[in-house]
Amino acid sequence: MDTARDTAQRRAPAPGAPQDAQARQARLAWSLSAHAQRLITLALAGLVIAVITRRPEFAGVAAPAVLLLAVRRPERPARVGVTASPSGTKLTEGEQAELTVTVTGDRGYPVDLLIHPRYAVVPGTPDGEPALRGGRSALPFQVTRTGRRSLGLLEITLWDRMRLTEGHATIELPIVDCYPMPAAQRQRVVLSRLPSRLGEHPSRASGEGIEFTGVREFVPGDRQRRINWPATTRRGRLQLNTFAAERTQNVVIIADASSDVGEPGSTPADLAFRGAAGAARAYLAVRDRVGVIVYQRSVRWVSPGLGARHFYRIMNLMLLEHARVADPARYTAITRLPRAALPPGSLILVFSPLLDRRLVETVRDLRERGFSMLIIDVLNTEPSGSNDSLSGLARRIWRMEQEAIRFSLRELGIPLVSWDGRQSLDEPLAPYTRRAMVIRQ
Amino acid sequence: MTARTAGAAGMLAAVCVAWSALPLRHGGLAGLFLAVAIACALLSVARLALGRAPDEAPAYLNTVEQWARSVADLIRLCPWAEGMIVAVLALEAQHPSRAWHTALLGAALLAYLLASHLAESRSRLAVLRPQAPLIAAGLGLLALAAGAAALPSGTGSAADVLAVLAAVAAVAVAGMVIPV
Repeated sequence: MDTARDTAQRRAPAPGAPQDAQARQARLAWSLSAHAQRLITLALAGLVIAVITRRPEFAGVAAPAVLLLAVRRPERPARVGVTASPSGTKLTEGEQAELTVTVTGDRGYPVDLLIHPRYAVVPGTPDGEPALRGGRSALPFQVTRTGRRSLGLLEITLWDRMRLTEGHATIELPIVDCYPMPAAQRQRVVLSRLPSRLGEHPSRASGEGIEFTGVREFVPGDRQRRINWPATTRRGRLQLNTFAAERTQNVVIIADASSDVGEPGSTPADLAFRGAAGAARAYLAVRDRVGVIVYQRSVRWVSPGLGARHFYRIMNLMLLEHARVADPARYTAITRLPRAALPPGSLILVFSPLLDRRLVETVRDLRERGFSMLIIDVLNTEPSGSNDSLSGLARRIWRMEQEAIRFSLRELGIPLVSWDGRQSLDEPLAPYTRRAMVIRQ
Repeated sequence: MTARTAGAAGMLAAVCVAWSALPLRHGGLAGLFLAVAIACALLSVARLALGRAPDEAPAYLNTVEQWARSVADLIRLCPWAEGMIVAVLALEAQHPSRAWHTALLGAALLAYLLASHLAESRSRLAVLRPQAPLIAAGLGLLALAAGAAALPSGTGSAADVLAVLAAVAAVAVAGMVIPV
């Protein structure tokens, strides 16, 4: 691609910096278009054959091409001003977004725009549509994988009126943050014993909630508005409605990003992040306190908290940690998770392919410390290899090892469900969302 | 839109090759030019169908995929349309003089070039509107040249003069390439 790498190949904006909305000057490199080269070939071939064969009809064949090539060309712009700003700098995976491009100083020359995308960016340029209207164009794109992604390069092509010369310039596009697409989850796993903090989950204890639990005899001091008059009439003594206390729970989600294997975009690490994001959103929606631990070569966490702002704090953690997924340099031996990230009595949801032995040991350790846990297995791939008997045997041994790990965890009293990343999280969690999960110490 | 214009370009290429080859001549260079014209026409249509090279190559390719990728790169690299134009005109020159036949071939070649450009640049037909007067004038000149060629010539001097004029025009066209 013979494009002038624009002067504008400036440094990409610093991470977290506001996206560049100022016009950048892009220097145009003008050259003959492929159309003009073909016309020249036709003209020259026609004229040469006319001379050699002394047949004037071949000179006539060259005539249209000669006329098209001989037209006077007006002065061409040497530079254009280009502004490229995405519709949002924070996107989720697969979200449709637009890149608004404004070109100034084109002197009325027709302009074509083309995105040369970087990894995980999919442009959706409408085919055959005029690229620029009123100096402005909206180019659709989507980012398909979590992370801090550069959109790529924008190639700007100016054509002259006769489409014989073309000017090329290339500019670097901004960087956008792509959050994991939260998995769908409507039902929640709730522990049978909840901490004494006001929330939205009905607990076993009686209290001031709205969920009816039974009728008991009135004692002095009870609120009169809760008297159940039909029951009072039947029994002849004052009866009172009782309600369940509503409590909140602490949920800690462990996203295991230590194994980035399989097809890019649906690796266990991707699934773990999507599942963790979905679970965090579901629990925050009912005002539970949610914390997230991202487990890979090192451990980073967000302590349990509440609210929409906290959700974005969690998403930012996952976004930053996704970039470090395959970084072996950050290896540190971790088998115990920090106490600060694990409030007592928390429900711990682990999204993991259970390929990292250290995490398996950590999970065992947590169970032995008395935490209530539930593992969502996101392993969706297995070692590839040839179909010979040795590879087949190795695969069988690997599968048996995996089954042994899962069996040992179940034996410890840790429920384990599988999630393939496509279905809703409600389906694998259904056995545990129908009733409160009993804590066994 | 691109698929339709690429299809139109392919059909026009086939028409040009067939028109210049008929009636079939055996022996001499005609067979060679015909083979080259057919090959170039097929490859030029393949080039249009392939479109631009993908921006990011997959990290891992097997042998067959690597081979296919190399072939596709080669098809994108070479100017097959130019080769087809030269071969078709050379094939036409192998036949005895037939002015109107050659004029129609010239018009078909021009249409092929325009269709190729539209398919390549993913543009609409409307982008050729500014060129329409010049194309019409060129086609008029083509018809004049064909008419002149069809006239019976008494001596060979007129043809010689035409040859000199054509040579001068060739130099002029070549000169246009330099200042761009």
